[in-house]
Amino acid sequence: MVGELSVDLANVVENVHRSLVQVRNGRRGAGAGTIWHERGLIVTNAHVVGRGPVRVELPDGRVLPAQIMAQDPERDLAALRVDAENLPTIQLTDSRAVRPGQWVTAVGHPFGVQGAATSGIVIGMGKEWPEMPRTRHDWLVVGLHMRPGHSGGPLVDAHGRLVGINTMINGPDVGLAIPVHVVVEFLKQALL
Amino acid sequence: MSEVLANLSDALAGAVEAAGPSIVRVEARRRLPASGIVWSADGVIVTAHHVVEEDENIGIGLSDGRTVTASLAGRDPTTDIAVLRAQVSGLRPAAWAGAESLKVGHLALALGRPGQTVMATLGIVSALKKDWQTPAGGQFDYYLQTDALMYPGFSGGPLVDAFGKFLGMNSSALLRGISLAVPTGTLQRVVQVLLTHGRVRRGYLGVSAQAVRLPGGLTNQLGQETGLLLGSVEANSPAERGGLFMGDTIVALDGQPVRHLDDLLALLTGDRVDKPVAVRIVRGGQVIDVKVVVGEQA
Repeated sequence: MVGELSVDLANVVENVHRSLVQVRNGRRGAGAGTIWHERGLIVTNAHVVGRGPVRVELPDGRVLPAQIMAQDPERDLAALRVDAENLPTIQLTDSRAVRPGQWVTAVGHPFGVQGAATSGIVIGMGKEWPEMPRTRHDWLVVGLHMRPGHSGGPLVDAHGRLVGINTMINGPDVGLAIPVHVVVEFLKQALL
Repeated sequence: MSEVLANLSDALAGAVEAAGPSIVRVEARRRLPASGIVWSADGVIVTAHHVVEEDENIGIGLSDGRTVTASLAGRDPTTDIAVLRAQVSGLRPAAWAGAESLKVGHLALALGRPGQTVMATLGIVSALKKDWQTPAGGQFDYYLQTDALMYPGFSGGPLVDAFGKFLGMNSSALLRGISLAVPTGTLQRVVQVLLTHGRVRRGYLGVSAQAVRLPGGLTNQLGQETGLLLGSVEANSPAERGGLFMGDTIVALDGQPVRHLDDLLALLTGDRVDKPVAVRIVRGGQVIDVKVVVGEQA
């Protein structure tokens, strides 16, 4: 059973890699990004994009210039567009239904290590967090080891479905992600 | 893909959900709220002593979203346990796991409700040892350590097993940097005393003492290398009334060896209060027994 657990986890990460990009804003490998739509829409953090210009390295190795479609520092989200088609995307899940205790995996490029993963459980989701100013949006708090470079990458559940976008580190054992439902809200408002 | 990871994920989320109704928010200090465990359906809540800074008007956040008021029924700093009485009934008391099958390596979830919803961190049982004395002199029936992160506000909440059964109460205040759970048996014993008396009674002699090496001949005779030399005996104290003097060296109490201050602390339990005990001392090179009626610490 434990062997199967490992196989499942490895499969989850391998599938996620197909939709994981590297976002560069002039420095080498500024962060990660997640392919949101097959026609070149990439979601990442606002803080990864900064003021641009940005380039994106796709899983197939192509490095393309990216257009910054929208940026929202409050939610820490940015939408990029690259000129590419048929890009693999990750199935979205209803992040409002996320339960504490659920297994999640964050993938990104921590310290520049491409596609590295960290796993743990959901601690909780909500707007109010100790030692954080009250926000207007939900945050997903997860018990895994996020590090610089995970930002903008995908957070997935045990089925490999997208639950959120990695955004912030809160100590060595806690990470924050923007839930999918907040990303959807952002994209609806930003891309008219 | 097999379903094992998905099953694990559901099982863990299920354990949290099962435990949730018995976990409350405790607002008993100015800053960050902490957590508490529903002890009985009629509103007895167990939490950590160190998170309770008020005696009255303590806010208790229930799993159904209501907030009710509670007051402090009693506290024991030595075991970091406090008991509250909330003005509510119909609560779901915690379901406790037996400790017999608990092993190092078992999965454990630390749970808390510092806000509205229950939250969880995952770890394992890192260490397990019978009979532990806390630095403050409290007695635990066993030492239970976990590597599950004590998220801010988790103190007073439970440590649960993979099925959501309660293993103990989270405390981050007993040992610096280590997450411990106050075990079930200890909770049961102390909560009972706190509900009845409002505090845990501790035995009292009225002495100050320090450990000293015993002379060679006595080491062999007594089977121990050190005893407690009395630096002072308080006037009108149980020790003075029993006939102990400054300069006596205590080597045993009630049949149990006393080598260090910890030993004496461990023996001055609530159940020995008002009981006559034999205190074995070394005085002038002689080993004698003095009968002392143990008093109660104020």
